[in-house]
Amino acid sequence: MSETPDLSEAEAFAAEHALGVLTSAERREAERRMAADPAFAALVEAWRLRLSAMGEGAAPVAPPADLWSRIERALPANDDSRAVRLWRRATAAASLLAAAGVAAAVMLASRTPAVVAPPQPGQLLNASLVSPSGTTSVPLFVAAYDPIRKALIVTSLVRPGKDPGHVHELWVIPADGKPRPLGFIEPGKTRAMPMPPNLQPSLTAGSSIAVSVEPPGGSPKVDAPSGPIAAVGKLSEI
Amino acid sequence: MLMARIAAGERAALRRLYDATSGKLFGVCLRILSDREESEDVLQDVYLTIWRRAGRFDATRAGVMTWASTIARNRAIDRLRARGPLAYADQVDDLQLADGAAGAEAGLLASGEARRLQDCLSQLDERTQRVIRSAFFEGVTYEALSRRMDTPLGTVKSWIRRGLARLKGCLAT
Repeated sequence: MSETPDLSEAEAFAAEHALGVLTSAERREAERRMAADPAFAALVEAWRLRLSAMGEGAAPVAPPADLWSRIERALPANDDSRAVRLWRRATAAASLLAAAGVAAAVMLASRTPAVVAPPQPGQLLNASLVSPSGTTSVPLFVAAYDPIRKALIVTSLVRPGKDPGHVHELWVIPADGKPRPLGFIEPGKTRAMPMPPNLQPSLTAGSSIAVSVEPPGGSPKVDAPSGPIAAVGKLSEI
Repeated sequence: MLMARIAAGERAALRRLYDATSGKLFGVCLRILSDREESEDVLQDVYLTIWRRAGRFDATRAGVMTWASTIARNRAIDRLRARGPLAYADQVDDLQLADGAAGAEAGLLASGEARRLQDCLSQLDERTQRVIRSAFFEGVTYEALSRRMDTPLGTVKSWIRRGLARLKGCLAT
């Protein structure tokens, strides 16, 4: 066994993350890298798989009989199906909701008490995007902006395949209230989107991130959503 | 498929998964936390997490059992870390004494993967086996391991890295 080659630096880091020996700062770094680098994420997954067999070494123990009913009581109405229902309603009432949705998004942005403090280097800004109708606080998308990598990491919690005729376009609405397009996010996917220099100043705490429902190819308007706002949330420090 | 039905909000499907996996996952929580009440809380949290994340389960990447036990282990370790540094240090010492448990576990191994991993682990030197096992079941960081073993962090790190490289080589043969 003495001639075993060393793991590459990336794989060693992935294995350490899967094993759980990293400090919390290093774990965050590993999570960021997983979101930005699919090859690295695959290394971590492969190590989790290898090591998970160790967990099987734990002897099974029957949980108490009432645990299932505790779980059942705590189950929220299913997030996914509720998101999809909202989604359908949003697309069906497109024209009606469009004006109200944009107004809600802009109102949220203008309600912002200006921009708070500029983020410290390395500090992630997070946003949880919920339906502007306010009927539920279940997030439909989550977004995090990494000011060091200048990338926005977006996860869609919308179930794929429900509305193939439309796309979901991302917008940032900074303090001036003018939406700027950021790109697209597919249902159920996570994307790390590098942000060009002209958009970076808009991605600060207090700016809103919104998702609109658009025809394939995105909003025909250059600087505004054409479809309804399906979800909106404000960027804030962790 | 079960996970798709859970993602669609079918409670009966979650119940089926619970019946099939709760004993194993409760065992994982207990092994990490050594506390029944905390393990019950964590197990409840694990199934709520499965309920929320079922839509993101990717069968091409891992089996349901692997995916679910990774969630259970991560949640239990989060809970362990939340006990704070002092309680946590005690826990570490307790479990070090209980390390002989690894031998008893070996007889209960279920899958072929688990047996293979066990074989490969046993080819490592005693000390490396123990640090890898502690890291896995107790979520102990390099820093904590280095303090606990009174050994420089770099040394502990190279033990583990070399151990993991050998594990990978052994599992690949």
